[in-house]
Amino acid sequence: MKRIIISVSVLSAVLLAGCNTTESSRNLADPAVPGKVLAQQVCSNCHGIDGNSTNPTFPKLAGQQPEYIVSELKEFKSHDRSDPAGYQYMWGISRSLTDKQITELAAYFSSQKNKPDKSDNAKLIAEGRDIFVHGIPDGHTPACATCHGAEGTGGGNGVFPRIAGQHADYIAKQLRVFKDTNQRPDGTLMKVITNGIPKSITPEQIKAVSTYLSTI
Amino acid sequence: MNSYLKLSNFSVVELFRHCCRRIFGIKRPILYLLVFATALLSTNARAVPAFARQTGQNCLACHAGGQFPELTPYGRLFKLTGYTIGKRSIPLAIMGVFGSTNVKGPAATGPGHTATDGTLTFDTGSLFIAGKITDKSGLFAQLTYDNYAGDTNASGHVSSDNTDFRYADRIIDNNQDLIYGFDVNNNPGVQDVWNSTPAWGYNVVPISTGFGAAVGPMINGTLASQAVGTGAYLYWDKTVYAEISGYRTGDGVYSFMTQGNGQQLYIKGENPYLRLALTHEWGAQNVMIGYSYFDVEQYTDPTRTLTNHYRDNTVDFQYQYLLDPHTFTAEITRTNETVNYGDAGAVPDTVNSLLAKASYTYQAKYGAALSYFNISNSSNNAVGGTLNPMLASASEMAGQAGTEGWTPEIFYLPIQNVRIGVQYTMFDKVNGVASGPGTGTYNGKASGDNAVVFYVWGAFGN
Repeated sequence: MKRIIISVSVLSAVLLAGCNTTESSRNLADPAVPGKVLAQQVCSNCHGIDGNSTNPTFPKLAGQQPEYIVSELKEFKSHDRSDPAGYQYMWGISRSLTDKQITELAAYFSSQKNKPDKSDNAKLIAEGRDIFVHGIPDGHTPACATCHGAEGTGGGNGVFPRIAGQHADYIAKQLRVFKDTNQRPDGTLMKVITNGIPKSITPEQIKAVSTYLSTI
Repeated sequence: MNSYLKLSNFSVVELFRHCCRRIFGIKRPILYLLVFATALLSTNARAVPAFARQTGQNCLACHAGGQFPELTPYGRLFKLTGYTIGKRSIPLAIMGVFGSTNVKGPAATGPGHTATDGTLTFDTGSLFIAGKITDKSGLFAQLTYDNYAGDTNASGHVSSDNTDFRYADRIIDNNQDLIYGFDVNNNPGVQDVWNSTPAWGYNVVPISTGFGAAVGPMINGTLASQAVGTGAYLYWDKTVYAEISGYRTGDGVYSFMTQGNGQQLYIKGENPYLRLALTHEWGAQNVMIGYSYFDVEQYTDPTRTLTNHYRDNTVDFQYQYLLDPHTFTAEITRTNETVNYGDAGAVPDTVNSLLAKASYTYQAKYGAALSYFNISNSSNNAVGGTLNPMLASASEMAGQAGTEGWTPEIFYLPIQNVRIGVQYTMFDKVNGVASGPGTGTYNGKASGDNAVVFYVWGAFGN
């Protein structure tokens, strides 16, 4: 009986310890938890502690434009962005974040260093580079570099996100979301660009440009 | 509103049944299906179980390709960090399995229908109490109603099922990552986050045929809801997992975790469970190779004098490829058990278990799986101690026993929290022989135990 009482007491003490901590909290509904703590304790599970995610399901956030991270988190929170991976994972995560936490999260990930992927498909990379630099003339599709910058690191105060070093699969998925759906109202311009007149961007061109971007 | 609607569905079951019988002449199985379908229709995309309510995420964030209960790398971290991600919510959800099992040989008989005669019925239902308690502690607890607890119609009862309390914390920054935690559970291996442990990896569909009546090693669920374990674990740099736990008889103050599971099994003192796993994740793939050791002394009679000593060494492996629209997973679990008997002069026995499973889902909607099982034992002292139903003479005991077979399965997830599937379990050998002069279900052939299982499996909460 004595052992049982000790066991229960120890267990209760352990379970109740740290009820109100914010130092390593994973509580997404506590405004007192700093954004950096949430980035480390929660976001890092998918996006990586340094913002370089492992699985291409999840975009790399390292080196992303901070204003762009803020705008996307607000799009998720308001449910304006509704692409499947967005609502499946991010609607819930973002639902109770405060503006302050969102700004702090953005500051954390934007200050991390992006690590590009590697590809040994030289032909695909060359095709992709051509689209990035020159666009697709017969589709009247402008060069990606025009808005996203010569290095692909984004600009325009975060209106144009960093696309350099992003997972190829993620870029390809988002290009298809822009082209074929209305799930990302923030990407209206990309919808026009990917549905160029007279020709839309092709699956092969999407593959080429996304592969190239993942390596720079 | 939804909660009210769903609760209403179940609270009017009796009235509904009465009316259906009187007015429409609808029989009970069809009625249950109607009620089940109505319950499904009363849910919407937000109507997901307790953890999903807590995180606001879809099932597939934590479950590979939406196949509950198999976990993704994120699902594992959610569990290892004590079920604490998200915001505290109402920690309740329900799960139900509606289905039928149709055995190839003559089914068992009884008053009313039996578990293997192919009758569509409500088989099992669970209430989950699951969620974040504090910022560093959480629980997963399951109470299960089993309609076939006695293998005769309507003899079911409610019992304590998988239970896992944990406290955990994580030290993480760009230079270090260490999760550590403490755990209390009622099923050796249920605390594991990989699905190659017997508690989670095989027969995850609640009414699966599994490997029939073969006697598996202790770690294959013998002590599920019978023993209570406490332990501590570490997960370092998402690479090395180590755990040490001790299991004791789930009686006294712990009995709430073992209620309703038949006669209490008694084990001697604290029995160690050790677990080590190495993990690696690259691109869309991740892999785990692990080892566990479970050492149990079980009393052989109510007077608790003699014990049999079981030592289970298990090596397990898991692989996953997770990138929409494809999910592929594979698991292999190999256990070798040594049994030393308390009876003076008894020669030790061994039990070997090999379980393997591969599954694929497309768009987290359409899936197929193939499982293989091979359970064998030496019989110096007749492990399992049962007569061999494959053989004609009641005096014949199993020789070098072995039960082996395959289970192909196809399934469909029309919405994220409902899975509908069909399994066919094919026995190549039962208790060491493929055919014999026996009668009854086997009718002289191992294939007499083959069974088709159809199921509708759903989990709800709002």
